[in-house]
Amino acid sequence: MHKLYFVSAAAAAVLAGGLAVAQAQEYPVDTVTLVTHSSPGGGSDVFLRELSRYLSPYLGANVIVENISGGSGAKAMAQLAQAPADGSIFYATTPTFIYTSLLSEPEYKYTDLEPLVNFFIDPEVIYTSAKSEFKTLEDVIQYARDGRGQWGAANPASLERQALEQLKAASGVNAAVVTHEGGGDMMINVLNGTLQIGVGEVQEIQSQIEAGELRLLATFSDQRLDAFPDLPTVKESGYDVVVRKFRGLAGPKGLPDDVVAAWEAATQKVLADPKYKEAYEGANLRAEFMPHVDYVTFIETFGTETADFLKKTGVIE
Amino acid sequence: METLTHTAAFLFDWHVILAALIGVTWGIMGGALPGISPSITMALLLPFTYTLDPTSAIVLLASTYIGAEYGGSVPAILIRTPGTNAAAATVIDGYEMNRQGKAGLALGISLYSGVIGSLFGLAMLMTLSGPLAKVALAFTPMAYFALGILGLSVIATLSGENLVKGLIAAILGLIIATIGSDPVTGGTRFTFGSAELLGGIEPVMIMVGLFAMSELLVQASKREQDERVTSRPRIQFPDWPLAKRLIPAQIIGNGIGTFEGVMPGAGGTIASFMSYNEARRWSRHPEEFGKGSPEGIAAPETANNTVAETALVPLLSFGIPGSNSTAILLGGFLIHGIVPGPMLFQKSGEVVYGLYAGLFTAAIGQLLIGMAMLPVCIWLVNRPRPYLNAFIFALILSGIYSIHNEAFDLGIMIAAGMLGFFMRMLRFPFLPTVLGLVLGYLVESNFRRSLVLSGDDWMIFVDDRISLGLLILAFLFIGGSIAKRIYDLVRHRPTSTFSESAES
Amino acid sequence: MLTRDFVGGVASIAIGAVYLFFAYQLRTSALDDSMGPGGLPRVYGWLLIGLGAILTIQAIVSRRMAVAGATTDEKGEWDGQGRKLLFAAGLLAIGVGYIFLVETLGYLISVAVLLLVTALYLGAGNKGRVLSVAVLGAIFLWVMFVIVLGVRMPSGLLASLSL
Repeated sequence: MHKLYFVSAAAAAVLAGGLAVAQAQEYPVDTVTLVTHSSPGGGSDVFLRELSRYLSPYLGANVIVENISGGSGAKAMAQLAQAPADGSIFYATTPTFIYTSLLSEPEYKYTDLEPLVNFFIDPEVIYTSAKSEFKTLEDVIQYARDGRGQWGAANPASLERQALEQLKAASGVNAAVVTHEGGGDMMINVLNGTLQIGVGEVQEIQSQIEAGELRLLATFSDQRLDAFPDLPTVKESGYDVVVRKFRGLAGPKGLPDDVVAAWEAATQKVLADPKYKEAYEGANLRAEFMPHVDYVTFIETFGTETADFLKKTGVIE
Repeated sequence: METLTHTAAFLFDWHVILAALIGVTWGIMGGALPGISPSITMALLLPFTYTLDPTSAIVLLASTYIGAEYGGSVPAILIRTPGTNAAAATVIDGYEMNRQGKAGLALGISLYSGVIGSLFGLAMLMTLSGPLAKVALAFTPMAYFALGILGLSVIATLSGENLVKGLIAAILGLIIATIGSDPVTGGTRFTFGSAELLGGIEPVMIMVGLFAMSELLVQASKREQDERVTSRPRIQFPDWPLAKRLIPAQIIGNGIGTFEGVMPGAGGTIASFMSYNEARRWSRHPEEFGKGSPEGIAAPETANNTVAETALVPLLSFGIPGSNSTAILLGGFLIHGIVPGPMLFQKSGEVVYGLYAGLFTAAIGQLLIGMAMLPVCIWLVNRPRPYLNAFIFALILSGIYSIHNEAFDLGIMIAAGMLGFFMRMLRFPFLPTVLGLVLGYLVESNFRRSLVLSGDDWMIFVDDRISLGLLILAFLFIGGSIAKRIYDLVRHRPTSTFSESAES
Repeated sequence: MLTRDFVGGVASIAIGAVYLFFAYQLRTSALDDSMGPGGLPRVYGWLLIGLGAILTIQAIVSRRMAVAGATTDEKGEWDGQGRKLLFAAGLLAIGVGYIFLVETLGYLISVAVLLLVTALYLGAGNKGRVLSVAVLGAIFLWVMFVIVLGVRMPSGLLASLSL
């Protein structure tokens, strides 16, 4: 029944937060809308709703979440690009918004938005079935070298696909990269042995790892994960591939300095909040605060690298 | 047994009862509005579940799902508009019965078949989760491809008197399904630069267009007040001889629904069409199908409600959502810090038992709430034609808009209505189009995925035993129905194949 | 004379040809499988053309046979279809009009207008009743979709009143 506790504790935190609003410094607007293109219950939606519960007191404004689905983010981007840059509206950024911008050439692209700050990096890991013979990433690569590997990526034209294609190139093996309609589909094919490995977020496969049905082989992050200190990175294994699936916010172009400063301060505080920390670490998210200046460069680089990859492989012109 | 005693404890928990009843009522309402899919209905509730305790939250969402899957049949029967994708098969005979003035009976059959489906599915979920999960696990991309082909084989019997026309209609559906993102590369296909088309066209837009919009156009084109049988605004359950006749259809619905529900990605629409087809094959009165057969309602409605329950198997056992609706339910779990999957029963067993109890309450609640709501709905559709049709027009335009808040989607729906209008004028059946549309993506993506896996070795479909079995079954179905057509042709018998009511 | 099947067959060939035209223009990329994005669409396109051709031939052949038997049935096949098309096109125009109006006028007003115009177009006689049905119906739909379900319908003109 401790779950009930958790909820009532959260409710208490919200109440306490309400009191704190009065004392916090003045944010330019009363209500901040965080927009996501994911539908309610989806990854970004859960991230934002969880965040909105803790953020208000630190930011000094009410935080509400709005879902603008449609066009894999194209619609949300269009709305954001045309919104006033007064700090009242932000968009939850994930690599999807860059992929959508590049693949479908919508009227408003990621370059029409201004990245604000980054909150998290979701670690992407390589996993296999616990019943399989593969103990290390090298076993899998060797298997692919000897014959024909079958590797799974959750979605077509996604970060995961890109990571596996890069791994293929770095290791020089010819493996079939099989794309799916989401991580669940792929997990079944890893569990039943159709695929040797899958790539996904820890969050999605947590339950199977605990039950001992899946085995982690490596992580695509730049350093080892706190939750799995024994898990080597792909880079350590000798293949120079690092994947950073970011979760942050972006706003309309020309955000005022005081808004940026308020967010930079509030983000660092909320990420340090013990209750919020417990919640996001439980969900295997890795806090990685990036201030405004760094985040703008980061998104730019990410966008250019992705565009290069898509052009090189001929997906786009 | 242990499951039962644990579950029973929750049957008297008023939190659970209340959540189940609110959920099922809300679900029926959302499901009955065309365009508001079960997943949207559930998503609208999601923000409220933050403040609830985990068990009530999950029960609320799951009951909404059950209610919505049932609710879809109400407009299918009353106004020829499937409220949900899975109710598309119910339109055929349900609307036909309505036209004969038997709306009360049609709704009664769909209601109690739905309840039977829910209860049976729940029993399967509670007792056979383990084995069913193993079945789901054994399904490779090859097997999914074969499952899609088996679904498409139904076209052979849904094509009406001219198989060529049926096939053309089916290909139209397959063509519509290719619009959007490519399932393997993620590149765009046939979107002509429009971001709205990037995610593909939602089947429900095409279905509402083909069925409801084309019906409105046909009625507008006739102009004169046509004679119309109105139904008494009373819900009517079948008498014993009829109930007995429905039993085989319901068993078929239960069986197919259980199976399809467990497959992530297969879903209720395929289950209802296949059950419809099988019920017709095994019926003593196959000639009545398409002309208002009660079995034609019982089978798909039992099936889609069974699916709503057994779809929880992959979610609870692996944490894998097989559909948009179960994805929202997964969101509901995650919000409360519960991760469905192999550890669920050990870590949060009480939530699962509460869920079972809630689902049981929801099934019973569905019966009571349906009985209270339906007479009002029948009364509504008995209003004079011009008003009714104007209201239906407004309703579908509102419902379709709510899917993505896009006026663009209204254009797609109206275009589909035009397509349906011309198809009816030229006497093309459009059930094959719906089937092609629903199955197109499943078939294409798994076909190509299998070939990527095998390195373009087509033998992979034969080597996979499940795939081989399903493909053989599909070819037997197709061969059988073609043989029957030839036999009828040679004997100069009017083919007893059926077609949905053609309109001139 | 053109039979329904003949028209249907020719239309299928035409749709298939247009679809194929675009299917052959699909980009290929290094991430493609051997079928590529265009593989199945090409199959569908050719199948549609083939089936359309069969249907056309069927129509011609059966018409020849019917002429031999001198049936007059088909004479009436297209009678009154033109007028029917026109009436259907009217409703279609109302729908298209709604699409363009809804974003500017807002949901509540557009849906009331839609109900009013459609009911009148379909032959509702009693003017007072039409008006009340339109107003009450619009309010009912608005409460249902906007208030109860929380759908973000366009607010248009009434945005200032926060409706």
